[in-house]
Amino acid sequence: MPAEELGPLPAGRHGFSREHVAHHQRERLIAGLATAVAERGYAEVTLTDITRAAKVSRRVFYENFESREQCFLAAFDVVVAHIRELLGEAVEGIPEWPQRAIAATRAVLGFLAAEPDLARLCMVESRGGGPAVTARFNEAVGEMVPLLRLGRAERDGERPLPHSTEDSVIGSLVSLVYRKVAAGEAERLEDLLPDCAEFVLSPYLGPAEASRLAREAL
Amino acid sequence: MNRDEAGADQRRRILEATADVVAERGYQETTMEEIVRGAKVGYGTFYKHFDDREAAFLTLIDTAIKRTAGRVEEAYEREEGPWPDRVGAALGALFEDVAAHPNAARAVLVEAVAAGPEAAARHEAALKRLAPLLQPGRELNPRQAELPKSLEETLAGGIVWVLSQRLIAGEAAKLRALLPETLEFVLRPYVGEDEAAREAGEVASAISA
Repeated sequence: MPAEELGPLPAGRHGFSREHVAHHQRERLIAGLATAVAERGYAEVTLTDITRAAKVSRRVFYENFESREQCFLAAFDVVVAHIRELLGEAVEGIPEWPQRAIAATRAVLGFLAAEPDLARLCMVESRGGGPAVTARFNEAVGEMVPLLRLGRAERDGERPLPHSTEDSVIGSLVSLVYRKVAAGEAERLEDLLPDCAEFVLSPYLGPAEASRLAREAL
Repeated sequence: MNRDEAGADQRRRILEATADVVAERGYQETTMEEIVRGAKVGYGTFYKHFDDREAAFLTLIDTAIKRTAGRVEEAYEREEGPWPDRVGAALGALFEDVAAHPNAARAVLVEAVAAGPEAAARHEAALKRLAPLLQPGRELNPRQAELPKSLEETLAGGIVWVLSQRLIAGEAAKLRALLPETLEFVLRPYVGEDEAAREAGEVASAISA
């Protein structure tokens, strides 16, 4: 799903309701923002860049969004919703937790590697986008915590893991990934899959078993 | 105050204001107007010291990285105990420094990533400085040959994540309490779960004492 395929439909077709046209204008603006951000970085993107890429007027922009930031948030949400969907599909029908965790890791890394511009939008440009974007980013990352927490049932040890374990594990990977994306290495993210999978499994299954499963999964 | 001192004072105020405005609004939304207002200087004075907003921001993060990395590396060197103690000392110094300078730390750890390629490269370089402190832990692991090559990079990311989350939430004061769990998280891959938990327990009781 390249950025330019996110939304736009040919304009000016008849037979669509007003709401329908408005809906597609919104999608075009979101796709326009994604294109503009990929070209210039969010910090430098102006409203004109967005409306030009979306081929709509400024008035249409303001009918759909109050601000540049709101449009960015909408784009961010579209990408996150897509990742959520991919994750759901990836783990569907897999009964065992370790294999689910590996499949989920693979799905996210695979998407980000295949879509470097969108990876950049949601992993890099969203940092520094102000409080609303940051909150949304944290929410999205936080959605992974329950999936990981299920791994606790796999543990033999009597002592429970520290409460913050899931947050630290996910945060480690998020940080690793956004640094790779920021360095322009998004396409190579899938190379990290075995290491990432091992890192995710290790607190729950122990290092040796985690390493074995991570390598077996390839 | 002589002229040099006045200049240094202006520069310091500009950097502090940059840190404050960026922490509040995010780098992307930060304007020159807010920086000069916060620093109580005119535009002319700003441009005497910096070419633009980005230059001020880069100086801000360079200064913060230099200070923090200096303290962390010094704490690691000064601790003469076994390696886990040295990592504990280094991490303790890091958490303390971040808690003492939350806005500057936020600029480095959160905002720099999205503030252009130069700032992102500095963020990456700052994180890389943690790797040499962690690497000696491999010697303590009987499975050392099997440890992933990216382990140090990944753990450094985890440390930064814990710090960033508290900074974003405006809870730098809570960092102290998170030190033991974070230390345990970092040590576990090297020394195993039990030893890591024991070490974290020692740090926890030292904090509450």
